[in-house]
Amino acid sequence: MAADTYRRRERVRTLLFLSPWLLGTGLFFLYPLASTVYFSFMKYDGFSAPTYDGLDNWVYVFRDYAFFWPALRNTLWLVLVMVTLRVIFGLSLGLLVTKVKTGAGLLRTVLYIPFLAPPVAATMAFAFLLNPGTGPVNSILGKLGLPEPGWFNDPTWSKPALTLLALWGVGDVMVIFMAALLDVSKEQYEAASLDGAGAWSRFRFITLPNIRPIVVFSVVTGVIQTMQYYTQPIVAGKVASGVIGGSGQQFEPGYPEKSTLTLPQLVYNLGFQRFDTGSACVIALVLFAISMAFTALIMRRNAGLVGEP
Amino acid sequence: MTVGELTPVSALMTDVPPRQVRRLSAEWVALHTVAISVGLLFLLPFVFISLTSLMSDEQTLTRDLWPRTWEWHNLLDVWKTPGFLTWWRNTLVYAVAGTVLTLVSSFPVAYALARFRFRGRNLAMGVVIATMMLPPQVVIVPMYLVWAKQLHLTGTLWPLIIPLAFGDAFSIFLLRQFLLTIPGEYIDAAKVDGCGDFRAMLYVVVPMAKPAIAAVALFQFFYCWNDYFGPQIYASENPGAWTLSYGLESFKSAHHTDWNLTMAATLMIMAPVIIVFFFAQRAFIEGVTLTGVKG
Amino acid sequence: MARRHRMHSTLAVAVAAATALAGCTGGGGGSAKDDPTADVNITFWHGWSAESEVAAIQQNVDAFEKEHPNIHVKIVGNITDDKINQALRAGGSNAPDVVSSFTTDNVGQFCRSNVFADLAPFLEKSGIDAESTFPKPLLEYTQFEGDRCTLPLLSDAYGLYYNKDAFAEVGITEPPKTLSEFEADAVKLTKAKGDSFERLGFMPNFHGYESTASHYVSQWGPTYFDAEGKSTIATDPAFKAMFDWQKAFVEKMGGYAKLEKYRSTFGDEFGPKNPFMTGQVAMAMDGEWRAGMLDDAGVKFDYGVAPFPVPDDQADTYGKGYLSGTIIGIANTSSKQNAAWELVKYLTTDTAAVVSFANVIHNIPSTNAALESPDLKTDDAVKTFIGIAQHPDSNTTPASPNGGAYQLTVQDVGYAYESGKLKDLQKGLDAAAKQIDTDIAQAK
Repeated sequence: MAADTYRRRERVRTLLFLSPWLLGTGLFFLYPLASTVYFSFMKYDGFSAPTYDGLDNWVYVFRDYAFFWPALRNTLWLVLVMVTLRVIFGLSLGLLVTKVKTGAGLLRTVLYIPFLAPPVAATMAFAFLLNPGTGPVNSILGKLGLPEPGWFNDPTWSKPALTLLALWGVGDVMVIFMAALLDVSKEQYEAASLDGAGAWSRFRFITLPNIRPIVVFSVVTGVIQTMQYYTQPIVAGKVASGVIGGSGQQFEPGYPEKSTLTLPQLVYNLGFQRFDTGSACVIALVLFAISMAFTALIMRRNAGLVGEP
Repeated sequence: MTVGELTPVSALMTDVPPRQVRRLSAEWVALHTVAISVGLLFLLPFVFISLTSLMSDEQTLTRDLWPRTWEWHNLLDVWKTPGFLTWWRNTLVYAVAGTVLTLVSSFPVAYALARFRFRGRNLAMGVVIATMMLPPQVVIVPMYLVWAKQLHLTGTLWPLIIPLAFGDAFSIFLLRQFLLTIPGEYIDAAKVDGCGDFRAMLYVVVPMAKPAIAAVALFQFFYCWNDYFGPQIYASENPGAWTLSYGLESFKSAHHTDWNLTMAATLMIMAPVIIVFFFAQRAFIEGVTLTGVKG
Repeated sequence: MARRHRMHSTLAVAVAAATALAGCTGGGGGSAKDDPTADVNITFWHGWSAESEVAAIQQNVDAFEKEHPNIHVKIVGNITDDKINQALRAGGSNAPDVVSSFTTDNVGQFCRSNVFADLAPFLEKSGIDAESTFPKPLLEYTQFEGDRCTLPLLSDAYGLYYNKDAFAEVGITEPPKTLSEFEADAVKLTKAKGDSFERLGFMPNFHGYESTASHYVSQWGPTYFDAEGKSTIATDPAFKAMFDWQKAFVEKMGGYAKLEKYRSTFGDEFGPKNPFMTGQVAMAMDGEWRAGMLDDAGVKFDYGVAPFPVPDDQADTYGKGYLSGTIIGIANTSSKQNAAWELVKYLTTDTAAVVSFANVIHNIPSTNAALESPDLKTDDAVKTFIGIAQHPDSNTTPASPNGGAYQLTVQDVGYAYESGKLKDLQKGLDAAAKQIDTDIAQAK
C-alpha cells in the first residue's frame, strides 16, 4: 500500500515538473503536425472553407511546382559543398587554435564572434561586401587583375557566396572540434613521436580516429541545419535583386534564377505568398521526413544523447 | 532553437597546454603567420562594414574602400530612422521575456529528465531532441492559422513569446546534460532535511546550476534577438511590432536606404550581441557541459 | 501502466483539440450592417512610401475626415501585397478595413477568394454607375469574371523618359519612335569608362527596375490568355519577338554580364539615387509618377517624356503603352464596411479629391470627370501620359486567379534567356506556358 502511494506521488510529481513541456509539445508540436498532415490533403486558401482534395497537392508539388526540384537540388549542393567545407574548415581552425600558444585566447574569440552575428545583419553585410559593382571584394579583385564574379547576382556564384558567409560563421564547428582535439591524450602523440611518426602521420593515425565521432556528429548536424537554412538565402535574394515588391512587382523567390531556393522558403512561398495551404503542408512534411531521418541517425550513433552517458 | 547553437562554449575557455620553450622555428613562424592571416581575414568584414558606415552618401556607390570624409553622424542617423527605436524595443521585449519564460519553464523539465526515474524517460528525451532538430517551417502553417483566425494575435509578438512559456527543447537539453553531472548527495541531504523535490530543486540545485543557467539564458537571448522567420510570419503585418532583424531587411528592401546607413544599422544590431558576449564569457567559464557529443 | 496511460491521454487531448480547431477555419466574419453616421475608427492600408506620396494621401484623408467628422481614419503606409494577403485572412483588430494595392493582377485572387467585399451593392446604394464614371481600361483590371471587388484609385501609364541634355550632347533631336531608332539612340548615348560605363543609354536588363518583360511586351500588343483561360505566351508571336529583340539589344549595349555589374551600382528605385536621376542612364522606361519625383528632386538636367517606342512593323501604333493603376477595396472581414465605403467612394469618385491627389503625386486621374477637370495640372509630361492612357492600343496585364504568379513565370523565361542560360527560346516559352496552366489549375 505504502509503496503504491509513494509511486503514485512520484508520478504526480514527475508529471507536475514535466507539465509545461508536455502541454507545449502537445500544443506546438503534435497538434500542428497532425494539422499539417490533415491540410496536405485539403484545398484551403486561408479564407473560404477547406475542401477535400485527395492527393492533388502532392501531385502538384512533386510534378508541377516549378520551385520544388530546384530547391531539392540546391539543398543537395549545400549539403555536399557547404556542410563539407564547414566541417573541414572548422576542423582546420580547431587545429590551428589548439596549436597556437601566444594569443590563443584572442584568436579563439575573433574566430568565434562572427558566428554570433545576427543572420540578417551578417547576410546584408556580405551582400554589400560582395556587391559586384561597388563592393570591396570585387574592388580588390579588380585591382589585382583577377576576374570579378557576380556573387549574389550570378546564379553560378550565389551559393558559393552563401558558403563564404557560412564559413565566416564557422565558429560553432570550430569550437566543437577544439574541445574534441584537446581531449585526445598527449601520451598517444608522444608515443607516436618517439616511434618517429611525422606530423601528418600523427594526424592521420591518432587525431582522426579519435575525433571521428565528432566529425560524424558535425556532418549530420550540418545536414540538419541545411534543412533549416532560411534566413540567409532569402535575405540575400531580396537585397541583391533590389526588387521592392510594392510597386506592382512580385518578390522573386530564389533570386537569381532559383539558385538560392531552399525547402523552408518554399513553405513560405506556397503558404504565405500564394496561399496554397495544402501544398505548403506537403513541403512541410517533406522537410519533416528528411530532418527526422537524420535526427534518428544522430540518436542512434550517440546513444548518450538520450540515455545516461 | 536550432541545432546551430550546439556550441560547448566552455571549450573556448579551456586551459591552453603549457608553453614549450619557444623556438623560432619555421614551424612556429608558419603557424603564427597563418593564425594572424586567418584572424585578420575574419575581422576584415567588420572593418569594411565600419568603414562603409562612415562614408558619405555620394561615396557609398563607388568602389572606394576608404572614406574620404568621416560621417560619424551616420551612426546617429540610424537611430533616427523611423521605427528603429520601436524595433529595438520590440526585440528587447521579445528577447528578455522569451529568455525569462524559457528558463522558468525549462528548468523543472530538465530537472525531471535528469533526476527522476520514470517509464518513458528515454522516449521523452527522444522527443526533446526531435523537436530540437525540427525546422520551424514544418509546423508554421497550421500554427499561423490558429494564431491568426482563432486567437487574432497576429501583428504582435505574442505568438513567439507565449510558446516559450512551455519550455524550449534546446534549453531543456542543455540544462539536462548539466544537471546529470550534479552528485545526488546534495539533493539527498536537502531531502533528509525535509525539503520536497521542488524546494530541493529551487534552493539547492538552482544555485549550483548558475553557470548552466547563464549559458542557456544567453543562447535563448541570442536566438530571440537573431530571429527573422518568426517575426516575418507573425509581426510583418504590423510595423509597430517589427523586430530589428525584420525591420532592417524590410527597410532595405523597401526604399531610401543607402549602403552607408544600412551598414551603420548592421553595426548597431551586431554590436549588442558582441558586447553581451564579451561580458558574459566569464559566465561560461565554469563550464557548460559538452552536449553529449562524445556520446 | 499509469505512466503510459497519461501519455496517451495527453495525446488524446491533443488530437481532440486538433479536430475541434480544424473545424473552425472558415473565413468571412465581416458585415455591412454598421451605421455609417456613427462615430467609428477605420484603418486604411496603402502601399505608397515616398515622402511626397505619403503626405499627399494624408492630405486627401484629412479632407475626407473634414467632410465626415464621425469617421476617423488610421493610415498605414508602405504595405506590400504579402502583408495585405496575410492581414486580410487573419482578420482581427489589426486588420485593415480599406486596402489599396499597386498589384493589379492580384485582383483576380482578391475577387475569387472573396477577401475583398463585392462593391456592386455599394455602388448601387450610392447611385454610382461605374461604366460612365471610370474609363474602360480601368474598369477591366478592377474586376474579375464579372465580380467587381475593387475600384481604380488613380492610374499609371508607362513611357520613355529621356535626358534632353544628353540628347543634345550627342545630337539627337527627337525621341525615338521605333525600336530600331531607339537602339541606335541608346548606343549613341552610351559613354564607356574603363570596362564599365560613365553613362548608359538605356538599361535593357529585365531586372532594371521598370524594364520588365510585361512592360516591354505590351508594345507588341500581346494576348496572355485565350478564351478558356489557357496561357498563350508560347503561341502569340509577340512574346518570342520581344524576347529575341531584348536579347539582341542586350548584346548591342555591352553584354549581359557587363550590364549586370553596372546595374549593381544603381541606387534605390524610389530614392534620390535613382539611376535616371543621377544621370547613370540617359533613357529609362518609367511610370508617370517619375516626372513628379524628378521635379521634386530638382534635377539639374532637362528631361523629356514620350511614349515608349514600338516595334518597327507596328510603327502606326506609336503612342501606346503599358497601363496599370492602384486599386482599392474593402476587406471582407471588416465589420465597418459602410463606413469603409464612404472613404472608398470619396477617394475614387470625388472629383476634387481625385484631381488634387493626381496633381500632387503626378498620377493619371481615374475618373472621366477628373480627366476633364480644369483644375487638373497639365504640364507636358501629364499630357503625354494621358495620351498614352487614352490610346486605343494601350494594354494591361490581365487578372488571373493566382495573382501575379504567371508574370513571374514569364519573367523567369526572360531572366534565363537574357543571361544565356536558356538557349532554345521556344522550348522555354512552351514550358512556361504549361507551368502557368498548371499553376492556375492548382489555384482554382
